[in-house]
Amino acid sequence: MTTITSVRNLRLKFPGAESLLFRDFSLSFRKGEKVLIIGPSGSGKSTLLQVLTGLIPNSIEVPIKAEKIQVPSSWGFLFQDPDTQFCMPFVDEELAFVLENLQVPQEKMRDRMLHYLKQVGLHLEDIHTNINKLSGGMKQRLAIASVLALEPEVLFLDEPTAMLDPDGTKEVWDTIKSIGEDKTLIIVEHQIDHIVAFVDRVILLNDQGSIVADGPSETVFKENKQFLIDKGIWYPNVWKDYLASTNKKAPVKSVKEEDRPSLHVSKFVGFRGKEQKIAIDNACVYPGEWITVIGKNGAGKSTLLHALMQLVKSKGDYRIFEQKYQEIDTFTNFLTFVFQNPEFQFVTNSVYDEIAFTLRLEKWPEDRIVERVNKLIEIFHLRNVRENHPYQLSMGQKRRLSVAAAIVKEQPILLLDEPTFGQDAKNTFGMLEQLEQLREKGTIIIMVTHDLSIVEYFATRVWTISEGRLVEDCSSLVYKNKNKQEIVL
Amino acid sequence: MQIDFSFQETWFHKINPSLKFIFIVLLFIGLLFIHNINFLINFLFAPLLIYLFFTGHPWKRLCLIAIPFLIIFITSSTSMIFFGKGDITWFEWGLVHISEESFFRGLHLGLRGFVFAVLGVVFALTTRPVFLFYSLMQQLKLKPKYAYSFMASIRLLPIMVEELQTLRYALKVRGVQDYKGMKGFYKKLKAYSIPLLAQSIRRAHRIAIAMEAKRFSIVQNRTYYYQIGFSKVDLFFVIYFLIFILLAYLLTLYMSYVNIEDVRYNGN
Repeated sequence: MTTITSVRNLRLKFPGAESLLFRDFSLSFRKGEKVLIIGPSGSGKSTLLQVLTGLIPNSIEVPIKAEKIQVPSSWGFLFQDPDTQFCMPFVDEELAFVLENLQVPQEKMRDRMLHYLKQVGLHLEDIHTNINKLSGGMKQRLAIASVLALEPEVLFLDEPTAMLDPDGTKEVWDTIKSIGEDKTLIIVEHQIDHIVAFVDRVILLNDQGSIVADGPSETVFKENKQFLIDKGIWYPNVWKDYLASTNKKAPVKSVKEEDRPSLHVSKFVGFRGKEQKIAIDNACVYPGEWITVIGKNGAGKSTLLHALMQLVKSKGDYRIFEQKYQEIDTFTNFLTFVFQNPEFQFVTNSVYDEIAFTLRLEKWPEDRIVERVNKLIEIFHLRNVRENHPYQLSMGQKRRLSVAAAIVKEQPILLLDEPTFGQDAKNTFGMLEQLEQLREKGTIIIMVTHDLSIVEYFATRVWTISEGRLVEDCSSLVYKNKNKQEIVL
Repeated sequence: MQIDFSFQETWFHKINPSLKFIFIVLLFIGLLFIHNINFLINFLFAPLLIYLFFTGHPWKRLCLIAIPFLIIFITSSTSMIFFGKGDITWFEWGLVHISEESFFRGLHLGLRGFVFAVLGVVFALTTRPVFLFYSLMQQLKLKPKYAYSFMASIRLLPIMVEELQTLRYALKVRGVQDYKGMKGFYKKLKAYSIPLLAQSIRRAHRIAIAMEAKRFSIVQNRTYYYQIGFSKVDLFFVIYFLIFILLAYLLTLYMSYVNIEDVRYNGN
């Protein structure tokens, strides 16, 4: 079969990086192949796609040297973030942007648009629909439609479902599978459950950007298991191996008669502006519970956390330690919050100051601050970077720092909004273990997540939110048994 | 966060955006040379009628938008009224010196600001940025590079508003207090601007790459999805303003509200 895209003896160095990312790197792809590229973060997976398409160095200026780079004659690129792929506000205008670039005559545009939208299964009443009104999955399918307009032979997919909920993820992969039948697909992805069976070649990279393994998926995953575990790369059955290696049992929290709820809400309603977004009839939460809040994007999960934290307006009865919420001055004495994007929470210039920030506000004596902060720095593995600016940290370090800074005061209730989002396997398990230790000491954890494995193996209780209501409140055991068929590992 | 900004389309929306833009800029410049307050009062009705009846936006929104107009009017007129030069004194108290000349000059300045504001808002309310930039590309040969950069950045604004909200929550959770005074202002500026800028720069960079991945930069000749040309409405728009200017002029000749033809101070 013919080679459709390739590089030979590629060398690349990011400005400011200490060493070369690729050193005499050669790789080629044959026509019609479906290839998955995996590797630890920073191994140059996305960079490789950008080199193969010529985006590096044509659009992104990075010094590279190569004997030969064969860019496919027609290609399309699907990016990760649904919000930064579009330059126009409406569906038809976005597709028009691509068609205009290809100099398609105006009178033919509408038919072409309808054709591509149909191919990706987007049936809109009016194609002049505001892109902001689409769900994440629909946005990504629109992005696929506009990529299809380029009539590409090769599709480059850079973690196209990383920011989507499980439904959106499935939608997008189904679409890609149906349109990719006759195309060459080169995929970089963390969440690989949906595609492992679909790809016929897996390439594994290491931190320096050299190829560790290249072959059919079964052999690559089987022969490199230890490497995958060490580097924290997601692979099929990673949860199974993790559970087996740690002997982890699903935590069970039984509430005794005499237990008093730390948090109690009844007829509780949370608002976003003037609109009611979440309602809970009645719920009590006891020390040592780990509640996962699940539901579709836009169902009201985040609003629930915001309402509990009193960041948005709420109505109804809400008590913390039997004290009415209206009577509480400082919510941050009882609750703390970890946001999805850790960068928003950073307010100082170094890791140490960041953790110490809350304690200094509380006017703790300096020697106690030093002791407490150093302890947290140890627990969260941040010792090597303790003087760095928070923005200089890696994804995983930023996430750990945001959790450390949030829990420094040891508040009894910890709220988290999708904290494992975009994290590799190692960081995810590391953080879950730290949270589990807090839970064992009696901290209440309320966590929004899409990851059903966390629901199954770490949570004690599950809240299902649908269309702005808490529709189901049960123990994780009950949830697990009920959804046995649905949970895909 | 979704802001509902729906409106009825009127004839004023159908005017060629480039023409509308140039014409309004010309009016802006012309207004700078008007020193007769009688003319200005008469001319004021031209944009005001459009603002009140032809923008197609609901009354409630129009009233809300009018509040800053009035503030512009009051602030720009009072400073001149209170402190301007003049010979015929009406009232004096410390630094404040109101004279007949300063009063009318102040009123004139206020009205001018008001007319500017109404014209500008009428333009903003009746022109979709996308059409404006398509028109600029087609009629005024603006380079697509610039037009699309602007359109892409407009898309980023609501995302930034949402982010600002999240950032506010995050800082509140961290217990960042409102410091007072200059130091507080600096701290706040730093707390908000660095994360917002960091995010925006990254996002802009990503959009730029996505646009180039869709073969944006290599195109020499584009086709256009929206073909924007001229129509009768454009003629009507120009005639509307010309008639009003003429009427205002004639009315000023035969009827004056105040007996002043030039509000500028040219006393001794």
